[in-house]
Amino acid sequence: MITKDKIDNFIEKIPPSPEVLRETLALLNIGELTKAAKVAEGDLALKSYLKNIVNKPIYGFKNEVSDISQIFGILGVSLSQQTVYNYMITLLSPKKWLLFKLNSKLFYELQAQLSKKWEIILKHLHIEDKNIYGAISLLPASVIVTEALFCEKIDDVNLLRTTKDLDYNTILNRLCGVGLFDICEQIADKWEMDKIVGQIIQAASGIKPSPVENIDQLGKWMHLLLFYELSQPLFIEAGLNNFIDFQIDYIGDVYDEFASVMDIG
Amino acid sequence: MKAVVKNGIAVFSPQGFLDGNNTNSFLGIEDIEAAKKLKADMILVSLKKVVFFNRNGLDTFIKLFLNIRKKNHATVGFCDYDNKKYMAIKRFYQDDVNFSLFKSLDIAYLFSSSFKNQNKNVLVFSHDRSQRSAIAIELHDNGHNPVIAQSEEEYNEKKENKDAYDYIIDSTFLGQMGQKVATRVTGNAIIYTISSFLDVEISEQFNIEYHNNSLNVGFRLFIFDAYKVISMNVHALNFFSKLASSAAEYNASICFVGMKFNKTPKSFKETLEDAGILFYKQMDDILQNKELLKELGASSASNIKNKRALNKETVIELPNFIDATVVTIEMMTNSKAIKEAAEVHKLVIDNKEGKIASSIGYYGDIDGMVILVFPSGIAKKACELLIGENTDDTELILDTLAELVNIVGGKIKTLLSDKLINVDITLPRTYQDVDSLLEVVENRKGVQVDLSFDNDKFLFFLTR
Repeated sequence: MITKDKIDNFIEKIPPSPEVLRETLALLNIGELTKAAKVAEGDLALKSYLKNIVNKPIYGFKNEVSDISQIFGILGVSLSQQTVYNYMITLLSPKKWLLFKLNSKLFYELQAQLSKKWEIILKHLHIEDKNIYGAISLLPASVIVTEALFCEKIDDVNLLRTTKDLDYNTILNRLCGVGLFDICEQIADKWEMDKIVGQIIQAASGIKPSPVENIDQLGKWMHLLLFYELSQPLFIEAGLNNFIDFQIDYIGDVYDEFASVMDIG
Repeated sequence: MKAVVKNGIAVFSPQGFLDGNNTNSFLGIEDIEAAKKLKADMILVSLKKVVFFNRNGLDTFIKLFLNIRKKNHATVGFCDYDNKKYMAIKRFYQDDVNFSLFKSLDIAYLFSSSFKNQNKNVLVFSHDRSQRSAIAIELHDNGHNPVIAQSEEEYNEKKENKDAYDYIIDSTFLGQMGQKVATRVTGNAIIYTISSFLDVEISEQFNIEYHNNSLNVGFRLFIFDAYKVISMNVHALNFFSKLASSAAEYNASICFVGMKFNKTPKSFKETLEDAGILFYKQMDDILQNKELLKELGASSASNIKNKRALNKETVIELPNFIDATVVTIEMMTNSKAIKEAAEVHKLVIDNKEGKIASSIGYYGDIDGMVILVFPSGIAKKACELLIGENTDDTELILDTLAELVNIVGGKIKTLLSDKLINVDITLPRTYQDVDSLLEVVENRKGVQVDLSFDNDKFLFFLTR
């Protein structure tokens, strides 16, 4: 159904991060927001994406924000970097979604919801590391990878799933010995994201706990946040609720705190 | 979200958070329509991967399911929960629980009339005395051996002796149970339990797919345990007469045991006898009489006098059947499946040692049965995607082989429907040795195809 060759081929086809983005990220990394904004202005698609995402209701701005330097100024270094990473991930998304009932608008919504709530969690945990802020951007890449690998096998997967409740990550792992989050980590490596991004994402899969305690804790929060979002009607209807398995035992010790932070119950 | 159906139970498995806002999104109109068409004994929502739920979330599911229940009489409810979730549900609904709760899916299977793995020793405890009895009666009707613990102390004491019980049931609640006819298998006879007033509803309550499947795979003796029947009307009479006629095609016997005719016209008995149905006073009159069992056809799982030959329609579609098998094996193993040789003859298995098999029947515009025979190790390899772990557990391997052949059946159905040939598939059956398979297909001619993947050979046999 899916072979290791197909996975290698997918990874090989991931383009290197564009020069403008690399320069923007490098400047954001040293806190040069104005210079970064000037560079970012040169990429019209990035400019349009940033405007689109920060003007979503979840960001809570009363008036439309359209100037890049204004956007970076409001977001600050960590969130600007996170948003640029989000844009990089969208470069991998398909023009037309076949496996999931998604479109670019809905995918951006998923990114925005995850990013904003991740920010709330990190503030609650008193974490300021910008790489940890950026880690959430890689999470939706798992959806893109699933779409890319399985979109030609929809009938097979549907047939399989009428008999056994297998998620895409398990199918991939059993067939090829590689999981969706391994592929996400390879994307992070290819785009020279900080090592910690890949490590958190692996823990957030819920099936590969990190031996490093604080990374493992962040993985638990991220895993729970993902399923909090995937329980929203829009994303359930898009077919995302069961694309990977929710590891309920893994998140047991952070659930009450999460429920309190997200005001659930 | 689609339900996964196994052993007659359709299970929906939502993940994460369930509340009034999102439950409708889990089950779209298409999913509900598909669930209505399922011939499932039960429709359950697994709470295994649900971390939060409230009453509104559960209510929406229940409303949808009660709607489905009206159509197909299935039991509806929830399964796979821990004690905390069980207490929460009981707290939400107090004394107004009109659905069922099964602590685990395995426990729910015990109550499904399509569950083949019967005769289990089950320890039962509930704080509610009427529940204890209801659970025990249902288990007994489904062919298990329930042991009721009358108090929590007795329960705690008994459950320590783990080897004595195959299953231990607590935190389980039987709401309005499905009105499906309970089924159990004893040797080579199938026993259906019917009760109360039998009317037109019997055709909905009786699992005709299961019955046809049993005929197709070779069962020849069907006993209706009718001790608890009060009366039947003309619609039920017609139903049983038709059932007897169709059984006659397979040379099968249908018997009624314990049926009283105090409130049912005596002429009904004559009509049923004319249709070929036999009446006995007690179950043991049949089950303890070996001569009679032999006469009724239960001495062997195969006793077809009028064997049906392969016909032109089946042979024309042979490539579809082989394709379905090849495609499924390729999907499951990620390797190329190769057809090696095909011949028409009776099933020939050279070396019977260590081989297991699985079969699935299909009926509709055309009918027949597909059989796959594997060396046990190769079956395990073919099922690796479904099993996911290294195991020598024969029961698990057979169970998974049934899932594999079920996928083959699904593929056959799709490939044939592309050619406007409509068929339904039966439940899969597995055979832990070749002899039990040969009992079923003995002397039947069919197309035998040798197939292989990764140089591992297995056998495909198509017969009628």
